[in-house]
Amino acid sequence: MIALRVEGLEKAFDGLRVTRRVDLAVAAGERRLIIGPNGAGKTTLFNLITGEIAPDAGTIALFDTDITRKPVRARAHLGMARTYQIITLFGRDTLRHNVVLALLGLSRRRWNPLIDLARQHDLTEQADAALARVGLRHLAHRPLAETSYGERRRVEIAMALAQNPRVLLLDEPFAGLSIDERQDVNRLLLSIPRDVTVVMIEHNMDVALAFADKITLLHFGQVIVEGTRAEVVADPRTREVYLGH
Amino acid sequence: MEVSTPRVIAIVVALLLLVTLPAWVGNPYYINVASQILFFAVFALALNVLVGYGGLVSLGHAGLFAVAGYTAALLLARGHGHLVADTVALAVTVLTAAIYAVLSLRATGIGFLMITLAIGQILWGVAYRWASLTNGDNGINVAARPAPFGLSLAGADGFYYLCLVVFLACLASMRMVVRSPFGASLRGTRDQERRMAALGYDVWTIRFWAFLLSGFWSGVAGLLFLYYNQFISPQIVALTTSAEALLMVISGGTATLLGPVVGAALVVIMKNVVSAYIVRWNMVLGIIFILIVSFMPEGLVPGSARLWAWARHRLRRGKSGVAAATPPAAAGEGGP
Repeated sequence: MIALRVEGLEKAFDGLRVTRRVDLAVAAGERRLIIGPNGAGKTTLFNLITGEIAPDAGTIALFDTDITRKPVRARAHLGMARTYQIITLFGRDTLRHNVVLALLGLSRRRWNPLIDLARQHDLTEQADAALARVGLRHLAHRPLAETSYGERRRVEIAMALAQNPRVLLLDEPFAGLSIDERQDVNRLLLSIPRDVTVVMIEHNMDVALAFADKITLLHFGQVIVEGTRAEVVADPRTREVYLGH
Repeated sequence: MEVSTPRVIAIVVALLLLVTLPAWVGNPYYINVASQILFFAVFALALNVLVGYGGLVSLGHAGLFAVAGYTAALLLARGHGHLVADTVALAVTVLTAAIYAVLSLRATGIGFLMITLAIGQILWGVAYRWASLTNGDNGINVAARPAPFGLSLAGADGFYYLCLVVFLACLASMRMVVRSPFGASLRGTRDQERRMAALGYDVWTIRFWAFLLSGFWSGVAGLLFLYYNQFISPQIVALTTSAEALLMVISGGTATLLGPVVGAALVVIMKNVVSAYIVRWNMVLGIIFILIVSFMPEGLVPGSARLWAWARHRLRRGKSGVAAATPPAAAGEGGP
């Protein structure tokens, strides 16, 4: 079963083609790593998949449902969640409130102006469980602005996981983390159950290569190598465009 | 959030003061000033839904305020009853708010501000130039205030109590919305629009409903304004009314419930009371705003809370022999 299928995806900004006929087929439960040098079009590809940018051509399907023209919010309701390269969270709010917002996003209660959010104990319990999963339950009451960068990365992942996604897109989850924090996040990612398909962009090859079932190498918006870890690392084009020798 | 005992005491004392105000103020002029504070507070609270909780700064809300007043005034002048006139006026205002929203929510930031300003100016033009409908600069008179359930609102006391009931209803509804999942969603769209969409929220629709809520309460305030003056003219649709409402919200403190009320009190007292003693009261008001923006950029209510917390902290540290060097960071929202 293919969880995420991208076919012939094209995107250009002012004539500059940043995504060139990209094809991608990620199997359900697979861990797919997308690598490439800076400017290869990795984050643009994520933004196209999540709907933040409309493609010029091509199709995107999530579990055989065509989502190419669906808005960002609809993709979340179909089971797609993502994290961002630059952390985008709610700094004035507590960690718990951040996760509650993620839970509310898929709940019809988000429209309700008549009930007290603080009294929705089921949401609070689910949020605390999601925070416990990333080892931050003890900080649930703390404002996000008073947490470390590594903790915020984990909150991002907790928010994504709280939505029980079928496909999870992680944009450089190890960026800016210390060695200890990387290990924490790595353990967390390894604990994600196999019913969640994970597609990850990452520069940190030490941890990322061990995580991936398959790797896609992008260069100038094009897929130039795809295969298992061994195949991609052994490919001379990988060495040429990414490893630098 | 549990309500602390000092807060309960403060609320009870404030309610007692408000309910007994006509008795201890006595002078009808000042009771009328209190009525003005209350209905302008309703207007400021309505604007605060967008400015404070939605992060959408509108400079055209006078249009919504005036649409309600003009619609009711026109219907009353044509012989309709108060109930019909007021109901239709609110419906027309909400419809106008929907048009505002559809046009202005294409943008955020400066773009949103400019579109609302433009719509407000169009409505001002209609009020001023479409004289066959609006009577132009001469305005429209309303013969009498309503008398619901036989209660007279003709005097200062009766009208004050009407304003108080409406103000408390507005405050309660705002509190409910702010604390609800919808309120959290609206604040989320203000803080991280992109993230909210990725989490499954329909950002545009959330803002649209917020606009309707803001429009409804702006209309209610506009009706109170009409009945207070028993007259409406293009002056109230002008940009200065929108700007004053925005100043009320910003000076009191955005994204707080008490801030717009304090801001409304400040502006109304300056215009009606201080102006009797100081000829250049406008200049004084301007200086006050500059001081607020300079020393309490978060507004009077959150700023006072911050200074109070700092003073208490300093007192405690002073007792233990260590002086507090700097005030604490600006207070966040969710306060009074």
